[in-house]
Amino acid sequence: MRSLIIAVAVFAACLTGTLTFAQEGHPLKGSWLGTWGPAKTHPNDIVLVMDWDGKTISGMINPGTDDAPIKNATLNPDGWVVHFEADIKDKSGVLNYAFDGKIENLSFQNRTIVGTWKNQRESGQLKISRQ
Amino acid sequence: MSSTKSGVAIASALGTVLLLGTVISAHHPISAKFDDKKPQTLSGVVTLVDWRNPHVHIYMNVRSNNDSDNWAIELESPIDLQAGGWTHDSVKAGDAITVSGITARNGSRQLWATKIVMMGTGREVLNITPPSPPALLANRPTPRWPDKQPRLGPSAGGVQGYWAFPSSTVLAEATVNVPPMDQYGLLKNVADAKRVAPFQPWALALYEYRQKRFLQDDPTYLNCKPPGGPRQFELSYGVQFVEDRDRQRIFVLIGGGNNNYRIIYLDGRGHQGQVGGDDDNPLYYGRAVGKWEADSLVVDTRGFNEDFWFTNGGLPHTEQLKLIEKFTRENFDTLKYEVTVDDPGAYTRPWSSSWTMRWVTGQEMPRHLCQENRP
Repeated sequence: MRSLIIAVAVFAACLTGTLTFAQEGHPLKGSWLGTWGPAKTHPNDIVLVMDWDGKTISGMINPGTDDAPIKNATLNPDGWVVHFEADIKDKSGVLNYAFDGKIENLSFQNRTIVGTWKNQRESGQLKISRQ
Repeated sequence: MSSTKSGVAIASALGTVLLLGTVISAHHPISAKFDDKKPQTLSGVVTLVDWRNPHVHIYMNVRSNNDSDNWAIELESPIDLQAGGWTHDSVKAGDAITVSGITARNGSRQLWATKIVMMGTGREVLNITPPSPPALLANRPTPRWPDKQPRLGPSAGGVQGYWAFPSSTVLAEATVNVPPMDQYGLLKNVADAKRVAPFQPWALALYEYRQKRFLQDDPTYLNCKPPGGPRQFELSYGVQFVEDRDRQRIFVLIGGGNNNYRIIYLDGRGHQGQVGGDDDNPLYYGRAVGKWEADSLVVDTRGFNEDFWFTNGGLPHTEQLKLIEKFTRENFDTLKYEVTVDDPGAYTRPWSSSWTMRWVTGQEMPRHLCQENRP
């Protein structure tokens, strides 16, 4: 019983150490979840993970087997305007996507980026929220 | 009662008495919630006194035409009110009072009280004295351990104490032209923001955004997030150093930090995780390793998370933040704190600042307990 209590305590201590969600640093850093549809070329849901190393915004769309790294990402603090691009494979080849949006509710942990996306074939709305 | 128990009892009583005599400033920016350009005076009957952290509230019914409105009157923290001689019975439900103060920015029925008068007697009951450091008795030398290393706590066998009354409660690059700001780090003129530190563009914009919102998004007060980084030495409730020389570490107890403490390791270890399981996780207080260089303790801290504001006023930081802090006890009553901020994620170059703290002798450090989601 005692070892069980210790194990639970250690687990709780470890959990406390891990539950540190980045909220207050670079506004784009973190995991984002939302929609980017409707579209024929990709599913409706999107997961985006972004990072900031002090010079460059990097990230990955839909991390996993069909992931796509983002490129040419920028954040203009004047209006908190976001732009990034990605090359995403389709049955017919590689499509170049361009995303443009704006950060809303900047001070919230679950702030959003609302904007648009487009590729060579179609375009649509983007809305993602920080998790 | 054994001598040990009676000693504890006496110490506790003494600590309580001394605590009541401690005068401490308000702990979060009033301007975040209230507009000093909207003064108002209200008279009514008290319905409830909510004696809790971070701020005490008095609820009162105020007649309005043929109806009455219930207003929330916000006061200082229980610690600060007690310092001014208040108890939770100073104003009771049923008392008729007149309150002067400033109203909430959002137009709600809330008022920050600057004056409260009992209507029956005309007696003024709210009397918060601005804080001031204790008078210096003499230029006492720095207390030292037998090996001559400076002590960061009391002298051997001396009475307890702690460090408070920072000469600066804001972090700004040490230049001759620091822009004016209040004790909470709120700039008098937001256009001066770029003079505070060598910001990257996004960090400057975020700092200005926080300033324009009167620091109302501060997670230390909204969500009880710990005051990591230099902020722990900016808060009015002070800090206390406990030197565990046998195990080569120093505990920094943080009065304004919700019973938080930070450990500075002096045993030569690196910046690895210090508790099983947190090896790779960024922390509120980072991982601090230090060493004595002559009479100064030099501390290198890294591994911060981004979940808090590391200074009053809302300067941004990233997980790349690295702090070099230098603590020098210049004499018995003065501790100099110097900090170099190196965060290439948010700033274009390392920058430095410094201030001093005063030894508050013979007093227990007040311990502020935050309560989440209370204004």
